[in-house]
Amino acid sequence: MEVAKKYSESELVHLLQQRGQHVFSYLYDNYSGALLSIIYNIVKDEELANDVLQEVFVKIWRQVETYDSSKGRLFTWMLNIARNASIDTIRSKSFQNNQKNRELSENVYSSAGTSQLNVDQIGLRKLVHQLKEEYRVLIDLSYFQGFTQDEISKMLDIPLGTVKTRLRTALIQLRGIIQP
Amino acid sequence: MNIQAYIESGIIESYVLGMADEHERAELERLSQQHPEIRAAIDAFESSLEQNAMSNTMQPAPRVKSDLFIQLEDEFKPVTEAKLVTMPVANTGWLRYVAAASVILLVVSAATNVYFYNQFREASNQYQALLVEKTSLLAQNEALQTKGLDLYNGMQIMSDPAFTKVSMPGIKSEENKLATVFWDKKNNEVYLLANRLPQTSTDTQYQLWAIVDGKPVDAGMIDGCNGLCKMKNISNASAFAITLEKRGGSPTPNLQQLQVIGNVAG
Repeated sequence: MEVAKKYSESELVHLLQQRGQHVFSYLYDNYSGALLSIIYNIVKDEELANDVLQEVFVKIWRQVETYDSSKGRLFTWMLNIARNASIDTIRSKSFQNNQKNRELSENVYSSAGTSQLNVDQIGLRKLVHQLKEEYRVLIDLSYFQGFTQDEISKMLDIPLGTVKTRLRTALIQLRGIIQP
Repeated sequence: MNIQAYIESGIIESYVLGMADEHERAELERLSQQHPEIRAAIDAFESSLEQNAMSNTMQPAPRVKSDLFIQLEDEFKPVTEAKLVTMPVANTGWLRYVAAASVILLVVSAATNVYFYNQFREASNQYQALLVEKTSLLAQNEALQTKGLDLYNGMQIMSDPAFTKVSMPGIKSEENKLATVFWDKKNNEVYLLANRLPQTSTDTQYQLWAIVDGKPVDAGMIDGCNGLCKMKNISNASAFAITLEKRGGSPTPNLQQLQVIGNVAG
């Protein structure tokens, strides 16, 4: 017997912490699509994004005891787990190697059409795409690639102070888009 | 510290998106406990981020969910496994069968326990969800009852012959507005029905005035009530009017902001 219900956030956390299987199933059905889109935004490969999604839900399940509702919403907490896991993935050795191989093969078969979705048309990137180039680059490097402001300052050869203010401006504009 | 400027600085977004450094995070968490407006700004950004993400989803591959449930299977069911101990069996043949039978029984019984335990847990989870649902339904019911009672009381007054009905249409250029006063001339009681008064901004409020001996007398502020609003008692009024005033009201009406007006009949 499957009852279609909607849990409030506090019920959801409470039932998850009691290790209920059907609540976990509900959590997955409700949030996997949104989390997959942020993961795909970062790893840019559908197959791999699905692997990371699985890993992320294992983390959510095992770490839900540490979630502290006074610090923010459950979704924000899950979103940050998804982002961190995705950034860890693109920084891993095996990913970097695969990437090199793929670039080689793509050069060889550059005409082969890929069925991958356009990453700029999905989720948060779709919104970031509306920003001016100079802001988009900063959000890409810091949010989607996880570089520190210090690293970005060196990579782009822009003073750290400028990176800081520009990134803040970019975030304010992004809020304007998210929160019309 | 200028809290508004701090909220507008982009730090809230940076924090929610997990991009703030250790120092910024600690500062924001400390400040948000002291300033509820910071907490509110965090909540607002989190909600809109969530709403946005929920409407920008991707379909996961079906294998992910099934793999997950296989991977976490043991964690859903913390099974207390019955230990099987092999014992030196005596030669007596029948004892061997009894031992085997009892082991089988033990395993079957353990499995049944696990099965019933899971059923019980599922039922208890569903029961809890239902309890929460019931409480919220009760609260909704109570709110509806209060509203219904207010409307009923309003109807009693409107149909009471002791009350004079004073219709107040909007003045020129405000023709779409309408309010009605119900006034008991004997007991001086005044009730107001805001038929068509648009929502005011947060720093303004509608104020009702009675015209007594040619002078405006404050008859009270109009604040969101169901149906009829009870206003101040008024005697000897020749007309009623509503102006838009700053929140809390004014001692004398701002006639530039006159909204609706109506004369008392007879």
